[in-house]
Amino acid sequence: MDVLGDLAGGFGTALSLENLLFAMIGVTLGTLVGVLPGIGPALTVALLLPLTYNFDPTGAFIMFAGIYYGGMYGGSTTSILLNTPGESASVVTTIEGFQMAKQGRGGAALATAAIGSFVAGTISTLAITFLAPPIAFVARSFQPADYFALMVLAFVSVTALIGRSLLRGMISLFLGLFIGLIGIDTLTGQARFTFGVPQLLNGLDVVVVAVGLFAVGEALYVASRLRHDKEEIVPVKGRLLMDRDEFRRSWRPWLRGTALGFPIGALPAGGAEIPTFLSYTVEKRLNPSAPWGRGAIEGVAGPEAANNAAFSGVLVPLLTLGIPTSATAAILLVAFQIYNLQSGPLLFTNSPDLVWALIASLYIGNVMLLVLNLPLIRIWVKILAIPRAVLYAAILLFATLGVYSVSNSLVDLVVMYFIGIVGFFMRRYDFPVGPMILGVILGPLMEKQFRNALQVSQGDLSIFVTRPISLVILLIAAAALFLPYLPRLLGRRRFTVGTGSED
Amino acid sequence: MSERGSGEVAGRGPRSLLGPRLAAIFVVALAALLLQQALQIGSTLGYSPVGPTTIPLVVATVLLVLGVLLAARCTLAAAIDADLAERSAEEEVATHWPTVLITLGILAVYALALNGFRLGPLVVPGLGYVVATALFLPATARVLGSRHLLRDVIVGVGVAVVVYLSFTRFLGVRLPPGVLELIGL
Repeated sequence: MDVLGDLAGGFGTALSLENLLFAMIGVTLGTLVGVLPGIGPALTVALLLPLTYNFDPTGAFIMFAGIYYGGMYGGSTTSILLNTPGESASVVTTIEGFQMAKQGRGGAALATAAIGSFVAGTISTLAITFLAPPIAFVARSFQPADYFALMVLAFVSVTALIGRSLLRGMISLFLGLFIGLIGIDTLTGQARFTFGVPQLLNGLDVVVVAVGLFAVGEALYVASRLRHDKEEIVPVKGRLLMDRDEFRRSWRPWLRGTALGFPIGALPAGGAEIPTFLSYTVEKRLNPSAPWGRGAIEGVAGPEAANNAAFSGVLVPLLTLGIPTSATAAILLVAFQIYNLQSGPLLFTNSPDLVWALIASLYIGNVMLLVLNLPLIRIWVKILAIPRAVLYAAILLFATLGVYSVSNSLVDLVVMYFIGIVGFFMRRYDFPVGPMILGVILGPLMEKQFRNALQVSQGDLSIFVTRPISLVILLIAAAALFLPYLPRLLGRRRFTVGTGSED
Repeated sequence: MSERGSGEVAGRGPRSLLGPRLAAIFVVALAALLLQQALQIGSTLGYSPVGPTTIPLVVATVLLVLGVLLAARCTLAAAIDADLAERSAEEEVATHWPTVLITLGILAVYALALNGFRLGPLVVPGLGYVVATALFLPATARVLGSRHLLRDVIVGVGVAVVVYLSFTRFLGVRLPPGVLELIGL
């Protein structure tokens, strides 16, 4: 009953007028950036971070959670109407969703995506409510060696399971680790990788790196192809609701998608991308009579629910262990650091008010998003009509504003533009940017745990494999790394999976 | 989301992998530099068995290996990365380089105009946020292919004024006033 009491307290905080307003701003912004192709929740939270320094942390986190959830709802709109996935986890939605839109059933596709997201989001939030406290309790006994193992697992799951090439993912990760190392070593005061530049002694600001990579890199990439790519927006025709038959065909995929998405997101076993593909495959097998490839509603309902459930699942390791397993979660971890909150098992003991208000706001945000998305979808679709040239000029403008407003520093701007150039080439040659941002943020924490663990064991490396928790986690990480390659290693055959994925 | 086979790549292999090869060279060169830098970090033998050099050395070494592997996958016929080759070939067709370069140029000018800069003894004051931004948006939109100059100028001025006022008045964030200060606004 403890949990229910805490949750009720959380609702008490989250339902205050001020926090409702933050939630409203969050979900609206989130939907907006979700709808806009090319910018996602990670970038939005990164851009808003500097502006919220003076906010009350509870309000700020309620807003960030709104952006996080809103980004997922909005992403389905772009996939269905533009055939352009807003983020990698929406790739599957485009397959059937765009076909439905072309047949004039875009309204039904958007409706099943929105209601499916609501169902998945609410079930997952329930799961977070009851799972997070016991996990946080168990995690209190974790030692530095276990945390090191967890971080290795986070790196592996983000690097190996996202994107098309392990090699390119690893390069991205290690470039991120390098960026994270720049600056003065906190333990010994030695300058590392500063190349004699005094401005680098304090390290690179994560916000500068994230905005450069996500906003500037993406804008440059789109700019380079604007003359080549022609987009086709399918107008939403007819009803925006599903008929009885479409509803009947949707509800089981919603539940199955949730069941696939949440555990995979929470474990952490590879973010939101894998469960969407799994859900699509499962639905295809279970509903052989549906018009697959020609607008099967099951292929929108299942993956959208899986996507949303996985995103919610990611919050479990973030809140209970302090381990982010996606780019957006990594930025949220930075937000916790900025507010001097220890994200991890102690969060539930040290800042229960904030955590429970945050969890309560997830329920509220889901309801708001359902309301925001179903009747108002026509307004969001209008946003797709903003001319691309103006939109991407504005993204560059806001990126510059976000970074410059932190410290009015020309150096920061130069660093951001340079990282933007790196991001442009990474995007161009299909290097995933997620591992890089995770490396920047998690790398320094991992080094700290590594050194702490070895200090405890007095330099004995075997501590990582003699502690059962850390050994099990490291074995899972090894499995996640090599399992996808097993068929190839055994069969000496090349598998090319037909999946576009970029994040 | 189309089927990606490796068959059609064969014909245009070498040329289309030029970009990834340069990327591999960049990674290898960076890793070599990092290795050299990591070795120069003063190793204080303190209480911790792992000093400040260990992780930088590991990162630099692994990056070097990864860079060499990437180079191999872009050059050796047996190891060629078909996905990457196809991707790179497609990008080469689609990329309009002048847009990228001019956009970067505008960004550089924007940063300088925003902040002002110093050239030797000469201190050049910035134009300030509003003026620089009102110029930046229509200019960038134009480079990105917009042909509605009047509309873009109106949007630029509007965004600049709204952002400036809301940031400085409501959020308490400082943005350079620049020339607006001179005319007493």
